[in-house]
Amino acid sequence: MKRFYALLAVMMMGLMVITSGCGSSKPAQGAQSGVAPEIKAIKDRGVLKVGVKVDVPKFGFKDPQTNKIDGLEIDLARAIAQQVLGDPNKIELQGVTAKTRGPLLDNGEIDLVIATFTITEERKKSYNFSEPYFTDGVGMMVKKSAGLSALKDMDGKKIGVAQSATSRKALQEEAAKVGAKVQFLEFGTYPEIKTALDAGRVDVFAVDASILSGYLDDSTLVLQDRYAPQQYGVASKKDNAALTKVVDEVIAGMKKSGELDKLIQKWGIK
Amino acid sequence: MNGAFADYKWAALVSDWTVFGEGFAHTVLVSGLALLLALLLGGFFGVLSSGSSKLAKGLARVYIESIQNTPLVIQVFFLYHALPHLGIMLPTFAVGVLGVGVYHGAYVSEVVRAGIQAVPRGQLEAAYSQGFSFWRAMRHIILPQAKRMAFPPLTNQAVSLIKNTSVLAMVAGGELMYQADSWSSSNLYYGPAYVATGILYIALCLPLATYARRLEEQTGVKG
Repeated sequence: MKRFYALLAVMMMGLMVITSGCGSSKPAQGAQSGVAPEIKAIKDRGVLKVGVKVDVPKFGFKDPQTNKIDGLEIDLARAIAQQVLGDPNKIELQGVTAKTRGPLLDNGEIDLVIATFTITEERKKSYNFSEPYFTDGVGMMVKKSAGLSALKDMDGKKIGVAQSATSRKALQEEAAKVGAKVQFLEFGTYPEIKTALDAGRVDVFAVDASILSGYLDDSTLVLQDRYAPQQYGVASKKDNAALTKVVDEVIAGMKKSGELDKLIQKWGIK
Repeated sequence: MNGAFADYKWAALVSDWTVFGEGFAHTVLVSGLALLLALLLGGFFGVLSSGSSKLAKGLARVYIESIQNTPLVIQVFFLYHALPHLGIMLPTFAVGVLGVGVYHGAYVSEVVRAGIQAVPRGQLEAAYSQGFSFWRAMRHIILPQAKRMAFPPLTNQAVSLIKNTSVLAMVAGGELMYQADSWSSSNLYYGPAYVATGILYIALCLPLATYARRLEEQTGVKG
């Protein structure tokens, strides 16, 4: 047994060395004049790599018939590519989930994440967020047969949320206010929560309302109430400040010209 | 400093250690009960498939082959998402114990069968000649000898079983992997989260694996 603990200790020390090495590797800051090195790297590559959702209709959705990814967030990516590379089509899209978008940014696989990514104080410590391009509240989908109409009815119920728990936190506070004790179950993807709702594993499917509308069918309904407005931002690597500045300019410009509102209308997002 | 392993992320991990502690305890509990179930099922079906009855052998084959040739994920999904449509709502904890236990029971059956076959045929015949019934001969004569052969691979099964409980993260199982996913996807401190989770799994599995290797050396079975 002694030998085992010694082995464990050695392994942990090894891990610490490896991980602290990763933490301290800080890319050199480029010259302040001219083009920032991060932007230059994208220009040299000739393509902007963007992580988007592929399972959220109207925001980022891969049409199984055409195999094309489209949505508001893809249009945003195009606008940013236009600004950085002068060509809206020079984008390379990669599907991400709540679980993969952080790591993919960190290891440089993608330049930007535009994937219904809610801005939180905690996340701001790890990534740069642009100014918000969309604000949405958490909505709740229930089975028509369940007879639930508001959060106060949900005492003792199970709420299915996605593993990116901003909606969980928001709902927990709201539920406490109306005196409802609720239990949360987290799932990796949205279809899994819908499956759990159909099976009766959860009573409520609660995520951002605009995402919810894509999963509506004959047996379910979305309740009117919205909770805790969530702001979506474009995320980039923490040390990539130059790119965030460009993104901010693009979004500010689109807001001012009314182009962003037009896009939101084009995709039929309320 | 702002990598995936930045200092403040480790600090957050330390202050939220109860999340991981809870998951760890849950993993230990599910593993323990599932292992018990797997040993019971494995012992029963292992003996059945070494008997002489064709029907019993066929029954054991159906169980072993249908479980061994489908992924654990599908079996757990079936228990969790499909059974409720048939009116059977198992609690998530039971889904874990049943899913993982039944899955490894099939593997344990094969280990038990191999162990029994390694005992010379004459032992069973000698037991019969002394008036033992099949089950009593198994219980008192064959299984005690088979145990020696079967123990090291059984311990390896226990290690796989512990690791396989991580599948329950996909159905909100509340065990270690689920807690790590849940914690790290909200704050995105995935670096420390998964390193710590890995270490916790090592802490559970490595002693067992070491024990198995020592047993193998003792019984003279080289891997």
